[in-house]
Amino acid sequence: MSFEIVAKSLSQIGITLALILIAFGIVEAVIFLVYNKVLKAGDKALTGMLLAPAVIGLFLLIVIPLIYELVLSFSNMNLHHFKDPSFGITYFFDNIKRVFTTKILKKMTFWPLLFQTVLWTAIQVTFHVVLGLMLALILNSKIRFKELYKGILILPWAMPPVISGLTWRGEFHSEYGFFNIILRRLFGDAAAIPWMTDGFWNFVAMNITNIWMGVPFMMVICLGALQGVPSEYYEAAAMDGAGKGTRLFQITIPLIKPVLAPSVMLGIIWTFNNFNVPYFINQFMLETSDILVTALYRAAFTYNQYGFAAAFALVIFFILFGISIIYMKKTGALKAVGD
Amino acid sequence: MKKAILFILTVLMSFQFLSANSNTEAASDGNVSIEMWTKEGDADGTLQWTMALIEQFMAENPTITVEVVKKTTVDELREDFQTASLAGETPDLLWTVSDHAGPFLTADLIQSVDGLVDLSKFVETVTTAEGSWAVPMSSGNHLMLIYNKDLIQTPPTTTDELIAMGTELTTDDMYGLVYNQTEPFWFVPWLGGFNGKVFAADGVTPTLNTKEMVNALQFVSDLKNKYAIVPQECDYNAADTLFKEGKAAMIINGDWSLGDYEKLFGDKLGVTRIPMVSATKKWPAPYTAGIYLMVPKDIDAAKAKAAAKLIEFFTSKDVQYSQVNDFNRLPGLKAAYDAPKIKESSILKGSSYQLEVGTPMPTVLEMRAVWDGIKPELAQVLAGNISPADAAELMQESAVAGIAAQQ
Amino acid sequence: MKKNSTPLIQQDTLIESIIKQIVMIVFSVVTIFPILRIISVSLRPGDRLLSTSLRIIPLDATWDNYITLISNGKFFLWIWNSAIITLITAVIGLSIAAFSAYAVSRWKFRGRSALLLFLLGTQMIPAAMLIIPLFIIATKLSLVNTYSGIILAYSVQAVPFSIWILKGYYDTIPRSLEEAAEIDGAPKMYIFFKIILPLTLPALAVAFLFNFMSSWNEFMLASIMLRKSTMHPWTLGLRDLQGQYQTAWGQYSAGSVLISIPVVFLFYKSSRFLVSGLTMGSVKE
Repeated sequence: MSFEIVAKSLSQIGITLALILIAFGIVEAVIFLVYNKVLKAGDKALTGMLLAPAVIGLFLLIVIPLIYELVLSFSNMNLHHFKDPSFGITYFFDNIKRVFTTKILKKMTFWPLLFQTVLWTAIQVTFHVVLGLMLALILNSKIRFKELYKGILILPWAMPPVISGLTWRGEFHSEYGFFNIILRRLFGDAAAIPWMTDGFWNFVAMNITNIWMGVPFMMVICLGALQGVPSEYYEAAAMDGAGKGTRLFQITIPLIKPVLAPSVMLGIIWTFNNFNVPYFINQFMLETSDILVTALYRAAFTYNQYGFAAAFALVIFFILFGISIIYMKKTGALKAVGD
Repeated sequence: MKKAILFILTVLMSFQFLSANSNTEAASDGNVSIEMWTKEGDADGTLQWTMALIEQFMAENPTITVEVVKKTTVDELREDFQTASLAGETPDLLWTVSDHAGPFLTADLIQSVDGLVDLSKFVETVTTAEGSWAVPMSSGNHLMLIYNKDLIQTPPTTTDELIAMGTELTTDDMYGLVYNQTEPFWFVPWLGGFNGKVFAADGVTPTLNTKEMVNALQFVSDLKNKYAIVPQECDYNAADTLFKEGKAAMIINGDWSLGDYEKLFGDKLGVTRIPMVSATKKWPAPYTAGIYLMVPKDIDAAKAKAAAKLIEFFTSKDVQYSQVNDFNRLPGLKAAYDAPKIKESSILKGSSYQLEVGTPMPTVLEMRAVWDGIKPELAQVLAGNISPADAAELMQESAVAGIAAQQ
Repeated sequence: MKKNSTPLIQQDTLIESIIKQIVMIVFSVVTIFPILRIISVSLRPGDRLLSTSLRIIPLDATWDNYITLISNGKFFLWIWNSAIITLITAVIGLSIAAFSAYAVSRWKFRGRSALLLFLLGTQMIPAAMLIIPLFIIATKLSLVNTYSGIILAYSVQAVPFSIWILKGYYDTIPRSLEEAAEIDGAPKMYIFFKIILPLTLPALAVAFLFNFMSSWNEFMLASIMLRKSTMHPWTLGLRDLQGQYQTAWGQYSAGSVLISIPVVFLFYKSSRFLVSGLTMGSVKE
């Protein structure tokens, strides 16, 4: 690393920052003038000015790419039609029809893949919430070494996922992975599990990995939620002679539910679309370990079915959107959008 | 709103202007900057070697600057190159495996190299009716039998011998043979040994559901499950490590590993053909390919010229010699086959001996679907979950579906 | 039963305390074990990643991997690139989000619900799908191989989640605070900077952390946008140590250890905000 490189990167970034600032300065001024002079609604100018940077940024770098994908879903683009794809409404219907009727990759059709994805999401979120809540409950009570435990338990969240993913994959190695070493030592060679080649065990492996990675987030959320529960509730309940179990299910859980609901929804969304873990743990490309987004990635980048993949992505997006809306309606988390 | 749009455009243009300063490389003073993507890696020293070559090239050609971009895997190189082509921001030279010619040709992403070099001076390359599409940097990239002379004096020449010797050698902490069992590339030689081919005569119709395939699958399954001369589950790293640690007498590995093994074992390293299949009296036929240099389409003339110069440098006799001497790779340039090491080194003699019975790897797009069709089923057969016959059927189905998906 | 101010829930019997300790110890071991294994590999000599030994500190432990990694000179360059990209991203992303979230929290305007729903929707987009179009945009704007390009892309991608967190937190700050100040004649932005923003510190810290983490760990977009090896962040740098078949595992693990240290440190520094910043916003009065 030389001084020259540092200076170069700093100057490049400095210029960018300056440009962005100037740009937004002008944008803000324009908005201010437009609201005051053209729309004659000066009191609304501030709202517009505050929102402008986000709206412009999102439009440029999220909405435009989305439109690009949408347009692509109306095409027949693949390697045979790479530079000269045709566009048309029939291609769109054709692509959508293919998503539901033909094999997505080699063996699996859409519905089993969706089932696998839902199963994966359900297992993950359940484990994250249950284990996270359990750990949070203990951490929220009076125990020794609390800070030490908290420090250790949060580690998987801080570890870069690329690194933990590869490490876990190593632990599932049939010869040199931790699990099989232990199994061999305890029960002999026959007890070794084919983590990488067997569909069922590979699915188990990716679940173990992601549970390890995901529990700390839920634990922190639960801890925050628990700390928000006033202790008077418990005292009153204890007076009434309620046991610990009753207190947990009658008081604690109902009270923290509104706090957990949005986080659980984020958990669902992130797990549903979790690419890294199912992709990296599945070394042999077993379709039994694919979830919708990994199948999507392979359709787009391994098989280069760009048009089809774009349509497939739309389908995945709307399914997830549907699930989220239903979830929010059920739990009342939709209010966060409304008010 | 119009003003805002106008304004955004101005900002974008200023960005363009800003970065234009740093990015316009084809400057008027005759200096050219080109970007090369390579698949070579750090671990075996080939990337360092490539970088040193580039330094030398730039010293000899002061007007040309070469930026080397290393891609982790060949798949990543292919995917990123396709994305880059879509945006029109391609590199100017690709240093990659020959099988990429298939997808790149289908998508019309590379240009003919007929005008760049005299291809008659090279070993066989990717050629269609329209022309030739790559310059061979090295040839081979093939699998062979590599053994540790401390553990076996004479290597087996037939599979019966292999099994007999393997059974003798395999003990609690020693294996007779190790190889990357679940990777189809390591399976293909056996398929060839059983007279099988992945494609019919037309070169694009998969023929995976055949008697030959079933026999070959049965054979690799027997190596593991019946004779137990290979480890239970063995990937590349495990095989490589076991062999390096002296816990495996033989390994089936590619020419890329020879440099590494030679450093470690020296005289104790033996190289020969994968043993003949006793049932068919036929030698297993590993895929042969090589490292090829390809030039992307639509790069500007000055860059294409610089890329051609770089190709010329890479395929010069000196560089080709150095490739032979340092990495035991067989040259792409015919003239470099007179390198003393090729005649003297037992390693390279063994490698060439194997190469004689190799089959050129198909470079068609359909190969992708074939690889992906074989891989999971092969693993299932080895795990004893399905019979070879069922696996062959599933492989065929899956390959056909994969090819259909690409259409 | 003693009567005092300690909540009753915190009084455990001895058995309960022991069970809790056991649970904590088991989970801590499970949590830390894979991390110790990375350290173990990083201390192994040569490329001996694979070993059936379960010793954490190998008998022939050596610092060679660390020394090789650091002495090749590129390691600090990766860290520098990552640090500068990540920090600037977090600052830009956070500023954009802090303003917009305030507007969303305080004023009703047309399209507000749609905007919030859109922000939530952005979390549902499969990340891989944005790579190609983003790269095309970057090419059109000549932002390939520039820090600016990747910083802009990352900043914007982190905005929706930040707005979400910050908006929830602003919602918990009573409006009466601003109203009182407004009566005193303070301008709106002055109130925002002087009163509201300092109160939002925990949520800002959390949003910063999320921004930081997402760009610190990203590699897919970076691998196509930042081609020059001098611009590689650590994610790509470590990938450079991997090859098609062979990987310098020792150095890879050594790098992983060194890279994780600052992030873990950052987590501990901000962990007191984590708990409140993430959940406060969801508690509605």
